[in-house]
Amino acid sequence: MFGYVEPDKPELKIREYEVFRGYYCRLCKTIGKKYGQIPRLTLNYDLTFLYVLLDSLDIRLIEGKRERCLAHPLKKRFVVNPGPNAEYAAAMNILLTYYNLRDKWTDDRNAVSGAASRVLKGSYNKVRREYPEKCEVIEKHLEKLGELEKKGCDVIDEVAELFALIMKELFQGGHVCDGTANKALGWMGYNLGRWIYILDAYDDIEEDIRNNNYNPIVRQYKYNGENIPEFRRRIVEPVNFSLTYSLSEVEKAYSLLNIEKNKGILDNIIYSGLIVKTDKVIQGRGKENEEKSV
Amino acid sequence: MKKNPYKVLGIKEGASYDEIKRAYRELVKKYHPDKYRNNPLADLAEEKLREINEAYESLMKNAGSYQYQESYSQSYENSNAYGDTGQSQYQYQYQQQYDNDLELEQRIRNYINMGNLNEAQRLLDRMTNRGASWYYLQGLIFLRRGWYDRGYSNIQRAVQMDPSNFEYRNALNNLERQTAGFRQNYYYRNTYRQDPDMCNICMHLWCADTCCECMGGDLISCC
Repeated sequence: MFGYVEPDKPELKIREYEVFRGYYCRLCKTIGKKYGQIPRLTLNYDLTFLYVLLDSLDIRLIEGKRERCLAHPLKKRFVVNPGPNAEYAAAMNILLTYYNLRDKWTDDRNAVSGAASRVLKGSYNKVRREYPEKCEVIEKHLEKLGELEKKGCDVIDEVAELFALIMKELFQGGHVCDGTANKALGWMGYNLGRWIYILDAYDDIEEDIRNNNYNPIVRQYKYNGENIPEFRRRIVEPVNFSLTYSLSEVEKAYSLLNIEKNKGILDNIIYSGLIVKTDKVIQGRGKENEEKSV
Repeated sequence: MKKNPYKVLGIKEGASYDEIKRAYRELVKKYHPDKYRNNPLADLAEEKLREINEAYESLMKNAGSYQYQESYSQSYENSNAYGDTGQSQYQYQYQQQYDNDLELEQRIRNYINMGNLNEAQRLLDRMTNRGASWYYLQGLIFLRRGWYDRGYSNIQRAVQMDPSNFEYRNALNNLERQTAGFRQNYYYRNTYRQDPDMCNICMHLWCADTCCECMGGDLISCC
């Protein structure tokens, strides 16, 4: 479900790319330090984005140094210094991945996910102890999401809302004291979560039909056994509207945050990366070059 | 604490009139209340806009030039007035209907404006007459809640049922404009996709060569 929030790399400046990678590396290292080496593999772009975003609301300048790491032992790379939000983003990364894996295990008895979720269990417990309220709220939403999925809910908005609320919760949880910023962050998280959920559902249409899994889009538009490209053509317009509109709301919330720090990177993601990703998925190229690290 | 007006407008100190004006126009477009209509962040946008207006006015006052003072507030008032006429026209249309529903509708609108969506939905469910206005209000509630798919289809439906109503049509156009605007932003920012590719370059060379040959010269001697 994750990794849709990416920069549009060809449009990034080299400097911005380095800084973005610096954040990515810092997050990875923070996970390693707090939760051990194996959970580092779960790091994804969505949480990197959240980390960059939250850190950009902190006015202190970006500082970092060149370090080596396990994955790239030969070359030193630029890594930003840990700010107050690094640990938060790391914890949320563990949390989301764990829930996602557990979900896959209970739904389709996917053996790999089952094993992985057991490996992550320890780290998850640690996060739970640290952020008990956050976990509680998220679990409440997840539970409801599970119920709706089991019931076969046929209203995309309704299902997407629950994931959106989870993202809202994550976006509002960092070390940001400004009430105005928090409100805008919440709305941004909500709409981004909605976008991720619907995009993921669209991306999985084929697979879900084949395996007879729940998919809100297939449900709402009553797939009747036609061939899949035809079905996609039938639904692409309203789905595209829904996705693009959500993004335009993300943009509105973002522009109210008045971010100066890392503006290049964030603008790139908000104004290009997200729409590029949308188009890729809509054109059926969503699974291309997925899961490649920076 | 008063902010540096140049910073608010995102320009360098000592920027020219034209630069100030351009920056100002861009920002007003960005935070325009039309764009944030039906959005929980409307108050924040308004606040931001006020800041921008203040900054612009103070810069223009300092410059001592009145001719540049086409303040945003003017256009804002216009758009407000325009909303009012929409409202009264709308009220007029429904005067014949049950006062009950009319009053209910007004209350629903108020609740929507205040952001109390649960109450608005509760009242809406009580409305007996499910005409175009019902679908329109339902659409507004959905949009405000973040249920864009439902919101869009409800407003579409309202327009279909009452194509002459200006307010519904306007809302629908607004939705479409917004998604288009977001995409346009992307095409505007990213120019590399419009750079000439190999095919274009060959085409241009060939054209240039042909033109030269027409005039008796030659650009590419081998063809």
